[in-house]
Amino acid sequence: MAYFILKRLIQSLFVMLAVAFLAFSLFRFVGDPITQMTGVETSVADQERLREELGLNDPFVTQFARFTGDMLQGDFGFSYRTRQPVAEMIADRIPATLELGIVALIISLIVGIPAGVYTALRPRGVVSQTILMTTLIGVSVPTFVIGIMLIYLFGVQLGWLPTFGRGGTVQIGGWESSFFTVDGWRALILPAITLGVYQLTLTMRLVRAEMMEVMRSDYIRFATARGVPMRRLYFKHALANTMVPVITIIGLQFGGVIAFSIVTESVFQWPGMGLLFLESIRFVDIPVMGVYLVVIAFFFVVVNLIVDMLYVAIDPRLRVKDAA
Amino acid sequence: MNYSLKSSALVCMTVLLSSTALSAETFRWASTTDPQTMDPHAVNSAPVLSFMNNIYEGLVRRGQDMSIEPSLATSWNPLEGENGWRFTLREGVTFQDGSAFTSEDVMFSYQRASDEAADVRSWFAPVADVRVVDDFTIDFVTTAPNPLFPDSIANFMILDKDWAEGNDAALPARDAENFATMNVNGTGPFTLASRDPGVRTVLTPHEGWWGEAEHNVTEAIFTPIGNSATGLAALLSGEIDFIQPIPLQDVAQVEERDGFKVLEGEETRVIMFGFGHEHETLIYSDDVTDANPFTDPNVRLAAAHALDIDSINRVLFRGKIQPASQLVPAGISGYSEANSDRPAYDPDRARELLAEAGYPDGFSFGLKCTNDRYINDEALCRAAASMFAAVGLNAELSTGPVRDYWPQLREDDFDMYLLGWSPGTFDMEHPIRFLMHSQDDEKKLGSWNFGNYSNARVDELLPMIQQEIDPAARQALVDEVVAITQAEVAYIPLYTQPLIWAAKDNIELTQRADNFFLLRWVTVN
Repeated sequence: MAYFILKRLIQSLFVMLAVAFLAFSLFRFVGDPITQMTGVETSVADQERLREELGLNDPFVTQFARFTGDMLQGDFGFSYRTRQPVAEMIADRIPATLELGIVALIISLIVGIPAGVYTALRPRGVVSQTILMTTLIGVSVPTFVIGIMLIYLFGVQLGWLPTFGRGGTVQIGGWESSFFTVDGWRALILPAITLGVYQLTLTMRLVRAEMMEVMRSDYIRFATARGVPMRRLYFKHALANTMVPVITIIGLQFGGVIAFSIVTESVFQWPGMGLLFLESIRFVDIPVMGVYLVVIAFFFVVVNLIVDMLYVAIDPRLRVKDAA
Repeated sequence: MNYSLKSSALVCMTVLLSSTALSAETFRWASTTDPQTMDPHAVNSAPVLSFMNNIYEGLVRRGQDMSIEPSLATSWNPLEGENGWRFTLREGVTFQDGSAFTSEDVMFSYQRASDEAADVRSWFAPVADVRVVDDFTIDFVTTAPNPLFPDSIANFMILDKDWAEGNDAALPARDAENFATMNVNGTGPFTLASRDPGVRTVLTPHEGWWGEAEHNVTEAIFTPIGNSATGLAALLSGEIDFIQPIPLQDVAQVEERDGFKVLEGEETRVIMFGFGHEHETLIYSDDVTDANPFTDPNVRLAAAHALDIDSINRVLFRGKIQPASQLVPAGISGYSEANSDRPAYDPDRARELLAEAGYPDGFSFGLKCTNDRYINDEALCRAAASMFAAVGLNAELSTGPVRDYWPQLREDDFDMYLLGWSPGTFDMEHPIRFLMHSQDDEKKLGSWNFGNYSNARVDELLPMIQQEIDPAARQALVDEVVAITQAEVAYIPLYTQPLIWAAKDNIELTQRADNFFLLRWVTVN
């Protein structure tokens, strides 16, 4: 197991290196950081001097080597826009994004799995049809539209929930959390729903499809014939067997949730990594963009690793193989 | 009926009274961009300078109507026997940490702001020497007579020498942050209570401020909100009191609601089209590849006659723009009253001019525009392209974000381009220096004259304008420049952009034409 994890972590280094390389080769098309860093009245000579100081005139390979070299030594550089250390800026924003992503994931699971089971067991019921229709809207409407609609309904018209920001947060050893105040939870609800809707629909449809498939299999029929109580049949025997593909997809999707929370964060002015990334694009803040993409790549790798390990926990057959 | 109405009115009154009594303390506002730094010398951009004007002060400052008034200097006079200005400083001023303000701080701030590491150093290009005379007198010696020097340093903010040196912030941070990036110590009416960059910045009044407070704010909370729909929702839900700016299309929505108001004004920014005067051939043309028709002033005039500003105003801007005849709007010093006419909308005349120039069927060319820099910039360019097409000027439009727009213009990658210009000094000399004088990197002139419009007489007039002390004689020189550039259609000035802000009804504030928002004029009723 330890060898497996170690191997995966070494692989992840290459993934991150590849991402950094791709990102770096694209940055030159994003724009010119110097014109974003200086004012209108700054002379061309002063702009050139700054460009030279920041090493932007160096060949691509030199710039990339410097970036990766510094990163490997733990030096993440300084933001062009705010001049703050990039590591600190990203670290400050990670809690907001992770908390949002986790709550969105939990919402999608506690609604999506039961709804999937229900619609699989009563495929032709009115309630099932309604749920399926509603969630279809959930996947077809773009995230920012859902966000804006929720804001206007619950924030502006009804005035129940805040329209932007994180509300009250509590510092716990460098981790700024929304989980410990009422205001923090109130601010979390709308963005988490917005971010979770797509995931929820996906989970539900996946569980439904798998469940229907499993319900048709022989062992369920035999179990039914043997008189296993329905409740036990559905939730122990059937549902457990649908979980392997569901966890794969959900796990992989979670990486996506973190990466694509950009849209939700922008709509709700949620101060996470995605919002920071958007601001950085606007200012062509190359160090922040580079580090963000590498961190996201790392995140994907870790999530995949966790998914692989969950298989082992869920599927006893894999454990046996491992032992053998 | 009558009774219940009265009693409910009473209830409303008490609710209103108690709620205003509570909310009179905190003022919350939002804008699209977070100030990048708290260092007033590090970045010469409007979001930073506007914000820092709440905390730091200059020798002079601009009033609600943009006029120059005393701030840390109580008076200033031309030096006798040499070029420059003597500033008499205000006595009894203290920084927010309690230390006293003297001419040493001005001297230090000058050295800091004119250093290579500072982005505002271009303000001090005319300065030859600075001399401390005594604790409250300081001389700025300039290389030539410079009547506008005091106006040009209204945003030159003064730091405390001991504080900056003591905290290793003697120079602005260039590549890494320093103490002054996140901390402040100014003489201004507000001081920084807390800052979370990009999330929340809190200001509180500076108790020891020398001035008389005109505001009633006890705490001001700033949140950057990049997404305009989110910003509007935050205002309408009551979570913020004021937002700058709001998109033109949301004006009606705010006006319809009770308890909110739209604040409209005219910004000093003039939107214009520029040409590649120096280009030998068109870059993006399908039909004219061996010449650049825009080198002919009559072709440029034809392009000007093709544009129907009134329709653009009505359709795209809901009647909120002011057509412009020159590169500054009326009311700015140096505005040429003698040349206040702009080319009329006259497509027939445009076609005639093109035929006379040898292009009876017109020609195609490339038009470059931003899509995120000015209000409705992309829509404006689409409208202009179709108006050009109506007279035979087939504009191939390409739009893009501003972050890679300037580099393209600097590389001469355009036939015609869109530009907005706000005169930093609020004087006509500013656009002449940056947009009309020939490109001259050595003298740092014409640095935004992308097409390199060049006229020997204009180049000759600029230093004369800069040095002329007599207002009438100076205006005559400016009039001459405006007349020349209009006759040659150096640019096509289109209109001045509106300023559209929105606030709750109980907020009173001042909308200054430079798009600066200052807390010291805010009243929460």
